[in-house]
Amino acid sequence: MASTSKDNMQNICSHDNPEKDLEPGASHDSILNPTDSFEEFATEMNSSLEGRATDVTKKSSTISEIQSEIGECSKALKETKSSENLLNKDEAISSSVSNSNLQEQNGDDTESELDDYLKSPELVNKEKHVFILSSAGKPIYTRYGNEDKLAGLCGVIQALVSVVEEQNRDILRSIITKDCKAVFLVKGPLILVGMSKSNESETQLVLQLTYAFNQIVSVLTLTQLNRIFEQRRNYDLRRLLSGAERLIDNLLIFMEKDPAFLLGAVRCLPLPEKVRENITSAIISTCHKIRDLVFAILIAGNQLITLVRMKKYTLHPSDIHLLFNLVRSSESFKTAESWTPICLPKFDATGFLHGHVSYISEDCQACLLLLTVQRDAFYPLSQAKHTIADKLRRSYCLTAINDALNRNKDLTTTNPLKHIGIPEIRHFMYKCKSTAQLFTSDPISLDRLQDYRQRHKEGGDVVKKKVEKLSDMDYVRNYREFCSKIHCARSPAKLIFRSNSEDTILAWITNGFELYVTFDPLMEKDLAIRAVDRLLRWIKNEEKRIFIMNAPTF
Amino acid sequence: MSSRKKVLLKVIILGDSGVGKTSLMNQFVNKKFSNQYKATIGADFLTKEVIVDDRIVTMQIWDTAGQERFQSLGVAFYRGADCCVLVFDVTAPNTFKSLESWRDEFLIQASPRDPDHFPFVILGNKVDLDNRAVSAKRAQQWCQSKNDIPYFETSAKEAVNVELAFQTIARNALAQETEAELYNEFPDQIKLNANDNNRNRDGDNCAC
Ligand SMILES: Nc1nc2c(ncn2[C@@H]2O[C@H](COP(=O)(O)OP(=O)(O)O)[C@@H](O)[C@H]2O)c(=O)[nH]1
Ligand SMILES: [Mg+2]
Repeated sequence: MASTSKDNMQNICSHDNPEKDLEPGASHDSILNPTDSFEEFATEMNSSLEGRATDVTKKSSTISEIQSEIGECSKALKETKSSENLLNKDEAISSSVSNSNLQEQNGDDTESELDDYLKSPELVNKEKHVFILSSAGKPIYTRYGNEDKLAGLCGVIQALVSVVEEQNRDILRSIITKDCKAVFLVKGPLILVGMSKSNESETQLVLQLTYAFNQIVSVLTLTQLNRIFEQRRNYDLRRLLSGAERLIDNLLIFMEKDPAFLLGAVRCLPLPEKVRENITSAIISTCHKIRDLVFAILIAGNQLITLVRMKKYTLHPSDIHLLFNLVRSSESFKTAESWTPICLPKFDATGFLHGHVSYISEDCQACLLLLTVQRDAFYPLSQAKHTIADKLRRSYCLTAINDALNRNKDLTTTNPLKHIGIPEIRHFMYKCKSTAQLFTSDPISLDRLQDYRQRHKEGGDVVKKKVEKLSDMDYVRNYREFCSKIHCARSPAKLIFRSNSEDTILAWITNGFELYVTFDPLMEKDLAIRAVDRLLRWIKNEEKRIFIMNAPTF
Repeated sequence: MSSRKKVLLKVIILGDSGVGKTSLMNQFVNKKFSNQYKATIGADFLTKEVIVDDRIVTMQIWDTAGQERFQSLGVAFYRGADCCVLVFDVTAPNTFKSLESWRDEFLIQASPRDPDHFPFVILGNKVDLDNRAVSAKRAQQWCQSKNDIPYFETSAKEAVNVELAFQTIARNALAQETEAELYNEFPDQIKLNANDNNRNRDGDNCAC
């Protein structure tokens, strides 16, 4: 069904040639870490049993590096790193039990008790389940239902994982049936399981589980998570995570529909270049003297407005996604200035940054995060925030942000397809690789997101019925398969073109970008390619508005 | 919903094959007993909610196979247990003699932090039968010699002492699970609203 061609594209489009000119959105400086999330997860999938235990602890602490650089190593923040190997090989014993012995062959009653709950309406027919348990087999989190009632299932999962580990000295990665994929991820003291009936690939599911793990780390730090289970392997982690389940719920919903996760990229709020410059300089001029400030980040509606950073440090897209999720999930930020510890796992999993988090003003739903290594910097940062807000208001930046957020019809970026003027294009999604930023033709607006979340609270069920008008989310679902083919480690495709009576999809990856386009059905290939060329020119033209093209520092 | 935090306890049942582990668990969870003997192969998991001192506690019970060849499900199985229940059959003296090695096996595999005070409970099962061969006194003496392990005489068949035994198991495990304030250094989120902040402009006495 999919025709792939590796050589076809080179001669068609000049954008593939990096010497000629930079692809749309590319810049030499990037605020974001351009790590390809797929490569990273391919590494995850290839990790060995022995390697796994160590690589969660070997990272050095960026936070202490910053602290020593600014010459004040606060004792409070110093966290000792764990050296204990979580999988103590000496303890492992071999045994002759084979996997099949795990089947419950005893007591029909015992089986049915667990089965009954698994068949209850809370759980049955869901498109995707996510379970998190401790390596002792105690439930920590479930996407649906009550984790207490799933304690039996958690026992079974733990047994499956550990039998493969201890008896076969191997790692259980996935179980695939005709209509369901189950993937397993052991991270430090936790076991994460995703079970999906959708078209997501194993890699995509592992990526989601890794995000869920990082969300937990973001609340506790990896150091603390490891230490808890070193001290008490029977620990019921729900105690420390109470309140954070909501964050994991929201993150999982978020990932189902925002392509930013799929592509490991960050969406920026489209703004006139001048406005973004003004915002950035308002932040820099206010904050440049606050020397412990590591990042100042202004976001709105899961989109980045600007990010000013301490020299040398950049952020990984996945850390930004966690910040988006935190802000989106916390109603309390709307009513009060908050001072909150935040661990950004990619930046430094071993410690907390301290964040001053607040919305810019009541009439502008942009949220400012000032992240520092100082634990008692609330007042200076609070003052800085007010100064920044005043400056933004006076320079009409708040109005510009609101226009972009409300998708003002006068902005070319509000309805890009109209402006591009190629009627055959129904939807597109573009990632600039060097800056890890993303643009789609139909950015999810906040209210629709809300709708979606409400629907998902009740449902999350597998739906068979055909939807008439596709939304961004639905296009993104369609792109998943293409995305995994393009990122397939064994034989990656560079260009995929698939045309049928429902639609035509083109997926294309070069050194500089990834592009996914949906056209009308039965589109000719060369027509599609010409359209893509025009599309890329439009993006190039608008790049200063839709992307952040520089990497400002304090 | 109760405002108290939920607790989940991992309970492991060990003992020779045929002593009635699976039957005890079934009696406790499902209030049922069957005379048919079906060997547990590998492991069974059951859960039950109990109330201990007004707290809702979920017991996650791990029933093991007693057979020689399945004896070790490995470290992973025992890892992070909150309580270990050792069962013997009062009509079969050899099952009583095995208790020692089951206890050792558990302590080696699970390596709990404080082995001397790890909560065990001993159940002498099948007291409904006439051909009793291990006296209560003998069992009690052994339990006393092991740091006073609580001892119950049970019948899974006639539901004697089963409820009481499991209540004790939950209570003792919970007691061990003290809410140790190990993680006090966890910095709390501080919230200040704008007004307070204005009044207190220079204050470094924020409530951290
Ligand atoms: N009379 C009597 N028989 C019991 C009792 N408990 C278990 N049994 C029987 O002993 C046999 C073994 O029980 P089972 O629970 O499978 O033992 P397990 O191997 O330790 O799990 C079964 O035939 C049960 O019916 C009891 O309290 N009284
Ligand atoms: Mg049994």
